Amino acid sequence: MTSVVLLSAGRHPVSGATVLPRLEAQAIRVATGLGEAVGLHAGPDADAVADALGHGLSRIVHVPVPAGADPVPALSARLAAMAPGLILAGRRGQGGDETGTVPYAVAEALGCLLIPDIVALAAGDAGAWSLDQTLGRGARRRVTLRGPVLATIHPDAPTPLPFAYGQARRGVIETVVGDPTAASAPVPAFEERPYRRRPKLVKGAPSGSSAADRLRAATGEAASGGGRLLVRPEPDAAAREILAHLRRIGVLAPPAREPR
Amino acid sequence: MAGPVSLATVFPGLVWAMAALALVQVARRATLWRAGATAPVAWLDGLAKLPRRYLVDVHHVVARDAYASRMHAVVAGGLLAASVLTALAILPPLGGSAPYWILVALAFGVTAAGSLLVGARRYPRRTPRLSSGRFQILPVLLVAYALGGAVTSLALAAGGGCLLAPLALALAAAGGLGLAFEVRHGPMRHAAAGALHLVAHPRPGRFEGRPDTALQPLDLAAPRLGAAIPADFTWNRLLSYDACVSCGRCESACPAFAAGQPLNPKRLIQDLVAGLSPAEPAYAGTPYPGGREAAGARGPLARLIGPDARIHPDTLWSCTTCRACVEECPMMIEHVDAVVALRRHETLERGALPEKAVAPVTELRQAGDPGGRPLRARTDFAAGLDLPLIADRESADVLLWLGEGAYDLRYGRTLRALVRLLREAGVDFAVLGPEERDTGDLARRLGDEATFQDLARTNAATLARHRFRRIVTADPHALHALRNEYPAFGACYPVVHHTAFLLELVRDGRLNPGRLPDRAVTYHDPCYLARYNGETEAPRALLDAIGLTRIEMARSGRRAMCCGGGGGAPVSDVPGERRIPDLRMAQAAETGAGTVAVACPSCTAMLEGVTDRRAEIRDVAELLLEAVEAGR
Repeated sequence: MTSVVLLSAGRHPVSGATVLPRLEAQAIRVATGLGEAVGLHAGPDADAVADALGHGLSRIVHVPVPAGADPVPALSARLAAMAPGLILAGRRGQGGDETGTVPYAVAEALGCLLIPDIVALAAGDAGAWSLDQTLGRGARRRVTLRGPVLATIHPDAPTPLPFAYGQARRGVIETVVGDPTAASAPVPAFEERPYRRRPKLVKGAPSGSSAADRLRAATGEAASGGGRLLVRPEPDAAAREILAHLRRIGVLAPPAREPR
Repeated sequence: MAGPVSLATVFPGLVWAMAALALVQVARRATLWRAGATAPVAWLDGLAKLPRRYLVDVHHVVARDAYASRMHAVVAGGLLAASVLTALAILPPLGGSAPYWILVALAFGVTAAGSLLVGARRYPRRTPRLSSGRFQILPVLLVAYALGGAVTSLALAAGGGCLLAPLALALAAAGGLGLAFEVRHGPMRHAAAGALHLVAHPRPGRFEGRPDTALQPLDLAAPRLGAAIPADFTWNRLLSYDACVSCGRCESACPAFAAGQPLNPKRLIQDLVAGLSPAEPAYAGTPYPGGREAAGARGPLARLIGPDARIHPDTLWSCTTCRACVEECPMMIEHVDAVVALRRHETLERGALPEKAVAPVTELRQAGDPGGRPLRARTDFAAGLDLPLIADRESADVLLWLGEGAYDLRYGRTLRALVRLLREAGVDFAVLGPEERDTGDLARRLGDEATFQDLARTNAATLARHRFRRIVTADPHALHALRNEYPAFGACYPVVHHTAFLLELVRDGRLNPGRLPDRAVTYHDPCYLARYNGETEAPRALLDAIGLTRIEMARSGRRAMCCGGGGGAPVSDVPGERRIPDLRMAQAAETGAGTVAVACPSCTAMLEGVTDRRAEIRDVAELLLEAVEAGR
C-alpha cells in the first residue's frame, strides 16, 4: 500500500528561505509509519521540496508546472494515475503561492473523501482507515472509513523526523511530464485585500460568577459543551439547525421579514 | 639441570622469545587495525619524532601525577634496560662477563622496585579511577620477571652454580612471557600500541606546539558519512584506542561523568576497543553512570551506537566536547574526534539527533540561526549605541563578530560593554549586521556537518566581500570556528578574542582603566578559548591590570572544568544526577571570590543559570568597563 504525500514549496517564516513546510514533514512521518510513501510535487522545480528526501521519503514524483500556474489539474491527473489509497497534505501552506485550498480542490477532482486535521492514522484491514482528528482544545475524534482518502495533517501530529543529509542524498526525484492541457489550466481569479484580524465574539462576562465561569466566558465554550446532537438528520432539518445556530451566535442577520 | 654456559644462553634466549611473542601478539592485533579505513601517515617523520613526542609531550601529561610519573620512569626504564641488556648477553663476551651480569641484576632490581610502586596503586586497595581485571595481575607479572631476572643475573655473575638459578629462571620466564602475552589483550598493549600511536598520530600538529583542535572536514560525497562500526574509523584511530591504558584520568576530568550523565570517556574508548575485537576481555573499570551494562554484537562490522548496542545514544550526546579528556590523556587519544565521528553518522545518515536538538539544528539550516531569529535582530542589543555596519562603509580595521550571544539579553550587556570600550579606545570597527550568520559551531558539534559546511561557505563568501584587517569576537566558539575551522573553507583571517584585544588596547595606552580594589574575582576559563586555543593569560592579565584580587579555582587554565554549555549539550539535555554548571559554581564558591569572571556567552548563560548562586557572573569586558569608568 503506497501512500502519497503532497509537497509544496514553503518559505521559512523568518528567513524567507525555501523550505519544506513543517506540516508536510509531519505528514511524511505519519505516511512512512504506515509503509511505503511517495512525495508528489507540482511546481517549476523540485529543488524546493528536495528536503523531503531527508525527512524520510525515498522518492519524490515531480510534475513540472510553470511558475504561477494552478497545480491542481497536474496533481489530480497524476494522483488519478497513481491511484493511492491514502493522500496526505498539510492543513495549510507556509508562505508560498497558496490559498490553502489545494487539498480540497484535489479531493474534489478525485472524488475522494477529505478528512481535515489528522494527528494519527492507522490502517485497518481491506482498505479501511482509522484516523484521529483533532477538534481543538485537546478534543479528538476517531474517524473510521473505507476507501481512498485524502487527509490533512494538523500541527499536533508527531514532530517531523529530523533531516538526515545522507538519506536526502540517496533519495530519488522522478520528473514526470504531465498532461500539457491540464497543466495550462488558468489560475482561478482571486481578490487581494489587506489582512484584517477577525473580530472576536465576546459574550458578556458573567460578573460575580466563579473564576471557572469567567475563564469559560473568556475562552469560549468547550467544543463538547452546548449544541444539539442530531444523528442522520434530514438535509432540510440539518440546514435549518445550522442557520439557526449561525443566527444565534450572530454570524447571520436575523431572518428578513416574510416577502410580501 | 642447566649448566652455567647454557644458562648464559637460555636467559637471553628467554628475552628474545619474549620479544618474538610480543611481536606475534602485536601482529595479531594489527590484523584488527587493518579493518579500519586508510589514513595518510608520515611514517618516517613520525618515527624520527617518536622520542621527542614520548619524552616531551607524553611526559608533560604524565608528570601531572607525580607518583605515576616516577613509577612509570622506574618500571618502564628498568624493564627496557634490563630486557635489552639481557638480550645483548647473547653475545659471548658479554654473556661471560660477571660485571655485566651485575649491571643486568641492577637493572632488574630497579624494575622490581618499580613493580612494587605499580603494585602499591592496586594492592591492598585499588585507586578508584584505575581499571581492575587484567590490570590487577600486571604488578605480579612484573615482580616475577624482575625478581627472577635479578636472581638469575646474580647467579650468572657468581658463576652460575647456584641451585636457585633454574627456579629463578622459571619465575622470570613465567613473568616475562606473561608480559609479552599481555601485549594483545592485556595491560602491556598500551606500550606497543602507544608507541605506534605516537608515530602514526592522526593529529601530528599536537606535537608541534600549536593547538591542533579543529575538527577535520567531512567529505560529504563519501559513500558513508561518519562512523557507525569500528571499521568506519581510520586504522590509526583504531590503533589509538588500543593505546588506552585505562588510567581513568579522563573520567576524573570529564564534566558529564562528574554530573552523573551516562558518559565515561574511558569506558567509551574501551567500548570502541571491545567493539573491534570479539575476544576482548570484559571491561573492569567504572561503568557509565546509570549502570548500563555492555551489550550488543562485537566485531569490525558490528553497530556501535544504539539502545541495544555497546554505546547508548545518550552516552554520545552527553559529551560537551570540552576536550578535558583529551587534555588529560597520557596516551594522546582523541576522544572528542571519536564522539563527533559517531555523532556524524547518527545525525547525517540516521537523522537520530536528540529530540530537543532537532529544532535548533533545523533552524540553523533554514534560517542561519539556532533560534530561528531574524538576522537583522542580532544588533538589537545595541539600540542607541549606533553600531556601524560594514556594508555602509568601505573598510574597517576590526570586524566585530557578534555571534549567537547577541540575541541573549544577558550577553547583550557584555557586548554593550565591549562596544563602549571599543568606542572609548577609538577603535575603527564595524559589524556585519544582517549579513552575519551563525558560524554553525552547534551543528558541527552535533554531527550535522552538512549544515556547518553550508554556513561556513556562506559566511566565508560574506567575509570575502568586505575589507577589514582582523576579526574580534567575544564568543570563543565563534572564535574557534573562524580561526581554526573556516580556513578549510577558504576564510583565513586573523581572529582575536575580545580579552586579548582589550589587553592590547590597555597595553597600548588606548584604554586607561582605574583600579577596582577590594574585590576578589575568580576567572572561569572557557574550554574553547583555553583548551582549544591555549589562551589563558590575556583575561588574567586584564583582571590583574584593574587591580582585582584574583583567586584561581582548583581546576583552571587548560585544565579548567567545563560549564556544561559546549558541544550542543544544553540542547541535547541528557539527564544526569547533577548539573555541570552547579558543580562548576561550587568550585568557584570554594575560592570565596564574590565575582566569577567569564569570557564566553555559553559560560555566562550556564553559570548564571545556577540557583542559589552567591557569586555574581561578570564578563571580563564588563569589569574592564567598570574600571575604565572608575578611572575617569
